[in-house]
Amino acid sequence: MIPIAYWRNRKLYTRLIGSRCKKCGAEYYPPVKVCKKCGSAEIEEKEMPKTGTIVSFTKLTEPPVDFKDYAPVYLAMIRLDNGILVLGQLADAESEEIKIGAKVTATIRKWTEDGQSGIIYYGYKFKII
Amino acid sequence: MSKVYIKSVGVVPVGEHWNKSLTDLMVEASLNALKNAGNVKIDRIVVGNMMSGYLNNQEHLGALLASALGMKGTDALKVEAACGSGGMAVHEGYVSVKSGEFENVLVVGVEKMKDTDTSVLTKALAMAESAEFTQVVGASFISLNALLMKMYMNRYNVQEEYLDNFPVIAHKNAVTAPHAQFRKAFTLEDVKRSPYLAEPIRLLSSAPSSDGAAAVVLSSKPSDVEILASEVSTNELILSQRENPLRFEATEKAFKKAVEKSSIDPAKVDFLEIHDAFPIVAALSLEAMGYSEEGKAGYDAAKGKYNFEGDLPILTFGGLKARGHPVGGTGAYQVAEAYMQLSGTAGKNQVQGAKVGITQNVGGVDTTSVVHVMRRVS
Repeated sequence: MIPIAYWRNRKLYTRLIGSRCKKCGAEYYPPVKVCKKCGSAEIEEKEMPKTGTIVSFTKLTEPPVDFKDYAPVYLAMIRLDNGILVLGQLADAESEEIKIGAKVTATIRKWTEDGQSGIIYYGYKFKII
Repeated sequence: MSKVYIKSVGVVPVGEHWNKSLTDLMVEASLNALKNAGNVKIDRIVVGNMMSGYLNNQEHLGALLASALGMKGTDALKVEAACGSGGMAVHEGYVSVKSGEFENVLVVGVEKMKDTDTSVLTKALAMAESAEFTQVVGASFISLNALLMKMYMNRYNVQEEYLDNFPVIAHKNAVTAPHAQFRKAFTLEDVKRSPYLAEPIRLLSSAPSSDGAAAVVLSSKPSDVEILASEVSTNELILSQRENPLRFEATEKAFKKAVEKSSIDPAKVDFLEIHDAFPIVAALSLEAMGYSEEGKAGYDAAKGKYNFEGDLPILTFGGLKARGHPVGGTGAYQVAEAYMQLSGTAGKNQVQGAKVGITQNVGGVDTTSVVHVMRRVS
């Protein structure tokens, strides 16, 4: 994790701020600079809904080095209620509860930290309702 | 514009080369290829590599290789397109010769992965996707493929056993391949007994990490094998932002363009080297190229269509799964293997009478796709 890069995106990571095309109304998360549907560069911020449904999930036993201490990591593709697909971790996930179609809500949790005395990075995860 | 021929190839056996450096691997592959090429003057060097900066503290591979080969002064560069770097390097070499600007180009794909701790390597591989939005949530490259495989299984109601036929085919073909990392066959039951790395992807259904380098000498002067088309296409970088993540749009487009440009009949291709990093990538690639219907690639594999003796042999030297997957080297290995098939030098792995072959190398989850069509010059 790069501290300044995290700081730049803190709103996105904690509130799921995506974007909306002013011309055609298409919505995105992660945010975009140019609309993928109509090509317009007139884009505004748009907060995503915080509830959705599990489309796919996996249990990762060997995560990347920054997440090594948190293994296993449960990852999921979530279809938010506005139709946007988002990748995120599942929090408090007992593996029996996780299934395709399960309803989830976004919550804020610790993602990782820079060692014992470094920065703690918080961001969205999803938990089963 | 010039025609583009493959003059010669050289491969380092894929494996765990504890006593060889990144440079050693590149030099060994290059010297093999140059020896096989006879007396040619190389006027450009293109190196394909993904992670040398992060894994080996080394960039500037173009000048490094020119220098190591005693060829200082030569035009040289590195190209990068994640796991598609090797194929992209061949593409860059192809364009260089095709344009008429260069006569003989040395292309080398390389990756030195085994010097690094697994969790660091896992982070490096995830750099194929977005740092800001994918890596931050702890996703690894294998986990993205696992999510995709589960979506596929759910959408088409396919069991993982069907998709796991791809690693079984790969390992069977690698038994007689001298440069393969794993020359050992296994069964579907063996795959099923291996642990999940990221469900539904298992240890035995995932391509390994490997050290390796493959070199190809491209030339405007006629030789045994001609590259008829070299096409690249890209897809959305972020998997979750694709309208249909189960559609390998980059492969679909690159393949379509390559078939049109080469005027071949895709039904008459003699073999296919696909990017089988994981079973789901093999399946979606074959479906994108139209060789299997949507949701059917696993069933076709189970029925033997893609076996060495089947209608369309794939992974003729073991593919990424069994020949091995030195990431930035892979695309160059595929082209080198296609050359061996088309020049009749594939030994025990020879597809009899092979005239036309296709390679497909992808970076990311079909984020960049590089397709080459090659033919035997008769």
